[in-house]
Amino acid sequence: MLSRLAIAGFGLVVLGLLRLQVVDHEKYLALSNENRVRLEVLRAPRGVIYDAEGELLADSAPSFGIVFRPFPAESAQRARAVLTPVWMSEVAALVETDTAEVRKAVTTANRSGQTALLRADAPFRVLAAVEESRAELPGIEVQIEPVRRYPHGKLAAHLLGYAGEVTDQELDSLNASGYRLGDLIGRTGIERNYEEILRGRDGAEYVVVNAMGKRVSTLTEEPPRAPVGGHDIVLTIDLKVQNAMEQAMAGVERGAAVAIDPRDGAVLAMVSRPAFDPNEFSHGMSWDRWKELSRGGSNPLLNRAIQGAYPPGSTFKVVVMLAALRAGVAGPHTWLQPCTGSYYYGGRVFNCWKWEGHGALDFIGALQNSCDAYFYQIGPLLTLPRLAAAAREFGLGSRTGVDLPQERRGLIPDAQWYDQQWGPGRWRKGMMLNLAIGQGEVLVTPIQLAMVAAEVANGGRAIRPHVVKQVVGESEFAPERPTRPGVSADAATWAAVQTAMEKVVSDGTGTGARVLGIRVAGKTGTSQNAHGKDHSLFICYAPADSPRVAIAIVAENRGHGGTVAAPIAARVLTRMLLPDSLQNRLPPPRPVVPDTTGEVLVGD
Amino acid sequence: MATSWQMPGPVRLKLRMPAIDLSLAGATLALIVIGLLTVYSATSVPGAHEGLWIKQLQWAGLAIIAAWIAAAVPYRVYEALAWPFYGFSLLLLVAVLVMGTTAMGAKRWLDLGPIHFQPSELAKIATVLLLARLLDDPKVDLRRIRYWLPPIVLTLVPFALVAKEPDLGTSLSFPVLVVAMYYWGGLGMRTLLLALSPVFNVALFFVTGSLWWFAGLFVALLVAARPRIPALILLLVLNGAVAWSVPHIWEHMHDYQKRRIETFLDPSRDPYGAGYQIIQSKIAIGSGGVVGKGYLKGSQKALAYLPMRHTDFIYSVVGEEVGLLGALTVVLLYVVVIVRGFRLAVTCRNGFASLMAVGIVTAFFYHIMVNMLMTVGWAPVTGLPLPLISYGGTALVVNGIQIGMLQNVALRRREM
Repeated sequence: MLSRLAIAGFGLVVLGLLRLQVVDHEKYLALSNENRVRLEVLRAPRGVIYDAEGELLADSAPSFGIVFRPFPAESAQRARAVLTPVWMSEVAALVETDTAEVRKAVTTANRSGQTALLRADAPFRVLAAVEESRAELPGIEVQIEPVRRYPHGKLAAHLLGYAGEVTDQELDSLNASGYRLGDLIGRTGIERNYEEILRGRDGAEYVVVNAMGKRVSTLTEEPPRAPVGGHDIVLTIDLKVQNAMEQAMAGVERGAAVAIDPRDGAVLAMVSRPAFDPNEFSHGMSWDRWKELSRGGSNPLLNRAIQGAYPPGSTFKVVVMLAALRAGVAGPHTWLQPCTGSYYYGGRVFNCWKWEGHGALDFIGALQNSCDAYFYQIGPLLTLPRLAAAAREFGLGSRTGVDLPQERRGLIPDAQWYDQQWGPGRWRKGMMLNLAIGQGEVLVTPIQLAMVAAEVANGGRAIRPHVVKQVVGESEFAPERPTRPGVSADAATWAAVQTAMEKVVSDGTGTGARVLGIRVAGKTGTSQNAHGKDHSLFICYAPADSPRVAIAIVAENRGHGGTVAAPIAARVLTRMLLPDSLQNRLPPPRPVVPDTTGEVLVGD
Repeated sequence: MATSWQMPGPVRLKLRMPAIDLSLAGATLALIVIGLLTVYSATSVPGAHEGLWIKQLQWAGLAIIAAWIAAAVPYRVYEALAWPFYGFSLLLLVAVLVMGTTAMGAKRWLDLGPIHFQPSELAKIATVLLLARLLDDPKVDLRRIRYWLPPIVLTLVPFALVAKEPDLGTSLSFPVLVVAMYYWGGLGMRTLLLALSPVFNVALFFVTGSLWWFAGLFVALLVAARPRIPALILLLVLNGAVAWSVPHIWEHMHDYQKRRIETFLDPSRDPYGAGYQIIQSKIAIGSGGVVGKGYLKGSQKALAYLPMRHTDFIYSVVGEEVGLLGALTVVLLYVVVIVRGFRLAVTCRNGFASLMAVGIVTAFFYHIMVNMLMTVGWAPVTGLPLPLISYGGTALVVNGIQIGMLQNVALRRREM
């Protein structure tokens, strides 16, 4: 039985042999004798990226490459006769590269039988020269290759990311996924995270060529495989808001800004400064330029909106206030010791940013004026576990899960962390005081800050920030759901925090964020850091009665949140929430006079 | 030959001693020689691989020594060592995943200084030995789940590890082994088909797009095989789960995920590499015609684009240079190996040895089929070499060991 099965199997092989060697022998003999079959790749276009309104953010355009097509092997002698050193140098001069490079590419091509790229993205003068002398230089041809194009240049560069050519080293591991030399692969941002969706599947055509490598016809036996284009992607980004934010951030050398919709977590705009132009990567970048971009002091490739971790400064007081209110440590109208400009604790002096003091304040007033003395008193009462729990419920200390690569977690220290850091129980006195005003070891990313604002706006419902709204042709696609439950507090607690934040903008430290006719709720922050001048921070949401946008702004080393970051938010809100007709008639955003001088330290 | 009328003399104790199977040995040697000649021819074009045939000649010597040793050690030793050998081979499979050499996007080799070693080859032999040992137990009644399930699970482990490399071609030889050895171990064809029903379930769903075809087949199989109640329940649950989950999983996958699976199952969908090689292979074989272009004269040229002409696609060189006649000779020699191998399984008296022979021959046959059908364009490109012929040291030695194990059975076929 088994023997018979085996013999049947061999019978199948014999049938296959008969078909090839007897039935179709003539055909294959002809292919083998006179002509050769060559494979030509039909490149699949990469998916296009649109903003929420259908504005183009990234697409692929044809570019012209100069290639060498290897001769069929049976004309090896001929190839040796043609591919002389003279030929090499002529070609090198023509395509404007080294002779050595040409030799290397041609050798590889002859060995593998596959086309080699001599010059990518050739300018017109090279194309014209090649077309003119093609008859004298057999093997050299012009090939159309798609190249990635970002029409808005630096706009949303970090969010979009860029696509670059697969390198030799990567090729070995990527071969199985169908990557070839010269293919584009997403490196950062959406280009990387949605690589599998954006990238299409290349097609191929089997071409019959003559002994000189000239195309004679296509192979009828094997129909060409059409390339399948990648899927197009529609972002949640609104070009209008993004533009406004880019303009508002233009004066910030280093920093980041994020706007998200507090109802569903859709990211409306994301800016990181300094920016880079992703188009630079499409045309092959020199090593020096890449080093400059990636290692330079301010690292333009870093997406600070999700990869920059900052001390939150006084913006953290929002979290502290919510934690304290829901724990019953203090009520919205609890009056503590009046602020005299400083506070004594454990034998040390802790200064409020306002050296002359705020006087007596309740909790709402303390947030409104960002009074450090009040929060110093709250800190030890609140205790570390309750503060850390609230911060974690807001999603701080872990990734927001935004669909962008290499997001950072930030840091919310807890008892265990301090034990590890300084040894069990040997904590610094006054640690809770520093934490209560957002100093100390806490680190947050701008997108986490925007999420805090958004979740205060929506009453503690967890949201998961996302930048892709839709994948064209994939009706099943939906943004990922939040993985944490959200922040639990009763309605009165939320109302108190929301009221206090509204007062920050209407009549507190954040008046720079006022927008005519719109109720804005926000919180300023100024965070000390080891690298020079304080960072300027601001978080807000608007309109306060039915929030449609939550924003976080971080401007590195720019001083006070109220003076720099808040007016930036105002410009974005104005552009987004006011009708165009009204905007033209508005006075330019007013610069906010610093309410303190430089020597006053913490909070504002 | 004693005749009845002869004087009763001293009893002639000399029974005819079983010797090695001469046709098997002859066919094997012939195939190795053909392999050497073809490797010489395939690498005689100026290029990177000149002189490989000398290396292959050394390996061939080593393979024959290995075959000798594998034949000399009584198979009872194999039986006794089946478990540790199996464990050792699993260890190597894990090692290859952790620290194997990556080539062509897969981790298949362990780099041991001068030699590249493919542990999946070893795992195949180890699995054959273990299955033979487990199934040889007289208590085993394959119709009962208690006996039926453990060997399957033990085979799934190396299968999964090899598939993870990924090496689909080699990994599929494990289920093929199980089926053949179960059949040989006494499981009726009907029962076997019934046991394979989840496979048909998936396959039919993908081919026809509906579950009704499978439902009909399943009922027919149930009526034919009449399984016991626990087995029936297991089958129903298994098939139910498969029938329910496969369409659901498939529908909820993204396009690109489906694409990945399709390329995994059929690498020739990858239009550059695999499809191109198959076309070159077909041109080479087809242009050879009945008598071929002549040894060494063959236009290797048609194959110069084929980087694996001395390994995976060596049969194309045979087809081109010595034509249909030469290609059929190779087929015939393989038929001798396979048929003699199965014959040994039938004639030998020991259950373990018989099962071992079936397992080895099946693995051998599977490799030959997958490779030959690939070169004539009827099977996907999986990267399996042609046994005994393709260039490749470890593969040749392992093939030698396999043949040696068959001769081992031949030498002791009278033993119980």
